[in-house]
Amino acid sequence: MALIELKELNKTYNNGQPLHVLKGVNLSIERGEFVSIMGASGSGKSTLLNILGILDNYDTGTYTLDGTLIKDLSERQSADYRNRMIGFVFQSFNLINFKTAVENVELPLYYQGVPRRRRHELAMEYLEKLGLTQWASHFPNEMSGGQKQRVAIARALITHPQIILADEPTGALDSKTSVEVMQLLKQLNKEEGITIIVVTHESGVANETDKIIHIKDGIIGQIEENAHHDAWGGPLMK
Amino acid sequence: MRIEIIHEIASSLRNNKLRTALTGFAVSWGIFLLIALLGAGNGLMNSFMGNMQDFISESITVEGWRTSMPYQGYKEGRDIQLDQADLLYTKGPRWQGTIENVSLATDFTGTTLSLSGNSVSGSLRGVMPDYQEQEKIRMSVGRFLNPDDIREKRKSIVISSAQAKELLPKNPEKLVGKWVNAGNVAYRVVGIYSTDESNMTRLCAIPYSTYKGIYSPNDKIESISFTVKGPETLAEHRAFEKEYTGGLKARHHIAPDDNRGLWINNGYTDNLEMHKASRMIRTALWILGILTLVSGIVGVSNIMLITVKERTHEFGIRKAIGAKPGSILKLIIAESISITAVFGYIGMFMGMMACQIMDKTVAQDAINIGGEEIRMLVNPNVGLDVALEATLLLIIAGTLAGAIPAWKAARVKPIEALRAE
Repeated sequence: MALIELKELNKTYNNGQPLHVLKGVNLSIERGEFVSIMGASGSGKSTLLNILGILDNYDTGTYTLDGTLIKDLSERQSADYRNRMIGFVFQSFNLINFKTAVENVELPLYYQGVPRRRRHELAMEYLEKLGLTQWASHFPNEMSGGQKQRVAIARALITHPQIILADEPTGALDSKTSVEVMQLLKQLNKEEGITIIVVTHESGVANETDKIIHIKDGIIGQIEENAHHDAWGGPLMK
Repeated sequence: MRIEIIHEIASSLRNNKLRTALTGFAVSWGIFLLIALLGAGNGLMNSFMGNMQDFISESITVEGWRTSMPYQGYKEGRDIQLDQADLLYTKGPRWQGTIENVSLATDFTGTTLSLSGNSVSGSLRGVMPDYQEQEKIRMSVGRFLNPDDIREKRKSIVISSAQAKELLPKNPEKLVGKWVNAGNVAYRVVGIYSTDESNMTRLCAIPYSTYKGIYSPNDKIESISFTVKGPETLAEHRAFEKEYTGGLKARHHIAPDDNRGLWINNGYTDNLEMHKASRMIRTALWILGILTLVSGIVGVSNIMLITVKERTHEFGIRKAIGAKPGSILKLIIAESISITAVFGYIGMFMGMMACQIMDKTVAQDAINIGGEEIRMLVNPNVGLDVALEATLLLIIAGTLAGAIPAWKAARVKPIEALRAE
């Protein structure tokens, strides 16, 4: 069974005028895949990501994550699932400004009830892995965009999630840093076997992934196998 | 987990200094005002009660006055003079068990006290030993008149310290035991009273029996004083007064509804009225205090509201990475409790300090009223229990006020919270 199974997923927003955003999405993503969901703004890709991340609910259909049906969960349950199964990487980093890098990385473990010292050790380990050891006690506003995004990635990784959901992870970064971040994600996928889903509207970013899922008007369109993108080794278009 | 939340709160407070300071100021200020206000109020009350107790004795005094209505063939404007029959009436079986400790006082006779060339004017009055208690006379040297003085019709006299100073300027205390002349009669000074009350500096008290023998051979009595048992409330006292004076009015042909024929001074009702007044002042102080506290609570909840709004995005991040609604709620409430508790305590401490400062400064200033030193504030303090209760109340109220926005924040969907900036 696939890690992620979406069947006939429908989502309608009712803000005044009903807006049918997802119109029967069928999708399955296997463990260890590195995929991107690509689409123009308004295509429903952000909504899909929010549903995948259990940040939002859906109306009809089913969403199964690692064999667990994700439907009609309480706030407590969805918080728990998010904490244990999903790591988020956001366009705007979403670090807590008044916490240091290491404190930010520790936070998901805090909500798991991991003791302070153990938490700190683990967080330092991940920061080291991402080459941020000397930035551990710095606050987010003292770091560059690339550094911030790496802190966010460390935070996403620390709970050993099933999937990493990256929402426009390079959207706020310059082209050089974008390449670095995408290389990092690629490396995590190859070396650690972590399932990564990147949502983007940039074909250059999508091109770095192994599979590109095109979404248009709330329906999954073409699914492009891109396994050999490394072969021709083209630079990230920006 | 408990220690974890303390670290969490500490870091969040440390990193939001302005917000913490503002909330803290609102709390401290509210508690400070409340305690300073109650302290000053208590000081005022203590002063008021203390001063009044010096004047009011628990007794009733009746004197004849002047009628204001014609009655039973007598025209108005007639002077009423109490006599022995009135005394018998007061001591009579009708008032057995109600009226006790009956004592008398004569009218005043002006005289000049003199001792070896020094002289001072005085006003002689024949009184009973109970007079001291009824008039709240405080002795500075010697004693007041005693039953032996009355029984043996001794020529004993109690004079004021002002008079003593005139007669024996060097050391007035030495006057006790000496004989002084009052007009052409010699009296032996048995005591000197301190001149606290302005209207009594000229009074020279001599035994009732002595006065009667020398200055008032007839049966005339100026005033009758006594204590009563039974009446407790204001209404009961008024009823007793009406019944008691009714008998006197009938004897002296005073119209029953003529309130000017007899003068009655009821120390009990004065006390009751005073206590009522003090209760009202106390209530007013508490109302003011509670209103102050309310403004503190409003301040706290206001800041809590802004805080929660400001932190919505942060809560969104926390939720996205796994914070449950309960943990958000717990975080906000724990933060607000620690702020209100710490700053409430500071405010309480400052308030107590302010009370101490008042005690050392304003409370030491005395105003001289009629020869007596009156301090505006006496012991202006608030009990520790009241202070702690008020602080606790503010903490609880502040927390409850903070809980509503906290609960809302805890319920916001993570995507909505993440969108907030």
